[in-house]
Amino acid sequence: MSLLEIRGLSVRFGGLTAVSRVDFDVEEGSLVALIGPNGAGKTTAFNVITGVYAPSEGSVRFADREIGGAAPHRISALGIARTFQNIRLFRSLTALENVRAALQGARRSGVLDVLRPARWRARELDAARQAHDLLDALALGAFAAARADSLPYGEQRRLEIARALATHPKLLLLDEPAAGMNPAEKQALRELIRRLRSEHRLTIVLIDHDVSFVMNLSDRVVVLDHGEKIADGPPERVRRDPQVIEAYLGSDAEGAA
Amino acid sequence: MRARPLLGLAALLAFLALLDAAAPRLLNPYYVTILSRIGIAVIAAVSLQLVNGFTGQFSIGHAGFMAIGAYASAALSVFAGAALLEAAAQLVPLPLARFLYFPVALIFGGLVAAVAGIVVAVPALRLRGDYLAIATLGAGEIIRIAILNIDAVGGARGFSLASPAHPAIDLRFEGLGGVLAVALLTIGAIARLVYSGGGLAFRAVREDETAAESIGVATTRVKVEAFLVASFFAGVAGALFAHSEGYIHTNSFGFVRSFELVAFVVLGGLGSLSGAILAAATLTALPELLRGLGEWRMILYSLLLIATMLLRPQGLLGQRELWPISRLARGAK
Repeated sequence: MSLLEIRGLSVRFGGLTAVSRVDFDVEEGSLVALIGPNGAGKTTAFNVITGVYAPSEGSVRFADREIGGAAPHRISALGIARTFQNIRLFRSLTALENVRAALQGARRSGVLDVLRPARWRARELDAARQAHDLLDALALGAFAAARADSLPYGEQRRLEIARALATHPKLLLLDEPAAGMNPAEKQALRELIRRLRSEHRLTIVLIDHDVSFVMNLSDRVVVLDHGEKIADGPPERVRRDPQVIEAYLGSDAEGAA
Repeated sequence: MRARPLLGLAALLAFLALLDAAAPRLLNPYYVTILSRIGIAVIAAVSLQLVNGFTGQFSIGHAGFMAIGAYASAALSVFAGAALLEAAAQLVPLPLARFLYFPVALIFGGLVAAVAGIVVAVPALRLRGDYLAIATLGAGEIIRIAILNIDAVGGARGFSLASPAHPAIDLRFEGLGGVLAVALLTIGAIARLVYSGGGLAFRAVREDETAAESIGVATTRVKVEAFLVASFFAGVAGALFAHSEGYIHTNSFGFVRSFELVAFVVLGGLGSLSGAILAAATLTALPELLRGLGEWRMILYSLLLIATMLLRPQGLLGQRELWPISRLARGAK
């Protein structure tokens, strides 16, 4: 069954069409890569799925519910979490607080808790323990009390993933998680994604520029170019697709000359 | 395990009651007035810190909500206070009835101010940054001028708490215990609120609204909540002010008062409750300490503000607190 179903999705900003009549499905438990050159509409597609933008046309269905145009916090509550291309951490909060902020149950407390210290303390300790566990799972335990903006770049990327996981998502959207990483770091990230996928039984959609990063990782690759879907299939086939090669390298005529 | 906090609470109450009784005998009324004004300033500053420092929404109309709390509670006391006390005196001794009236008047002032807070917040919080600041400034002035034109609460003459119908019954709160108790409760409640899972939602909104939405924080609701809680406590501060001074005038709640409150939170450090407390206490006491300098004192006061902002632009304490609660919550094992 498809967890996410996108049909005839178009997004227009004034005269500019960023995404044009795109269809694709994400099967439950699969890992789909969304690739394409700069400006292909990948991040725009993510922004529509997470409610940052409303679709101009078409539908976005998640777990058999239409979510196109819903508020981002409602979509998060339904089980979609994401990371951002240009890291968006809560910069002056600590790593632990970044994760704790995303723990849904931990957010239910209020002014009247001043009158119920024991209950408050128990709930706070439980939330802190959950957050510490998530940080440990992403090898961030040592940074728990450090300000988010003081973390090294790779750790900031992992902290964003930890924060996303704290919402207990069914579907995780990773927007260029490998951006700015060297080959060794990319390899470590691939292993991390594989591990998280099996441990949390996640369905993942990830964006990258480049088909080689997602070759051995994804079950399916969807290629966007100028807002349109130009290929969709297993990574091996997509890599040999002439249209994809053309989108990345220019047409044969230019290349062969 | 459970007995300890209760014992502490009992000790605190005893201390405050003692202070309430002893203060007028030990200190001259001038010091009692200054100390109680400090308590009121602390309550207002700590509540404004929730909106400006923790939620990152810049409000500069906070005195308007103090005005509503002050006038609403004063009106309750003047028009219904005597009747309420007589009714209560049927059931309990009069001194106890007077003591019980104290929280009733404060909560009434707070609730009316909170309603006004929502009315202002829902449209105003669509705005951001400078636009929000100007809208809140405008709202504060509208409140002040509206009250100035209500003749039933004295209009331009000001509003005295002495009820003409029952001149014998005095509903003023004198002494320090009450102000201190309310200030401590306010600090405790807001500290619990901001340094808990719930408080992280406020701080997440301050840091990055898009990211906050993406992890399920309903940002608009959180902002309205912050405004609601802040205006409630501003109303309580106003009610305390009305009942400790015994006479109020809208001039006490103009934009100068609002700016003073903003100075408390900015100077103390946006995002620090202890900073707001420290700054509110210092800046309330300072003009009195400088009184010997005559007309030079406001110049010195302004120069001190300018110097602090130049030397410590992040405020006295930045985002730090003087108590350990935040360290535990921030990730120390």
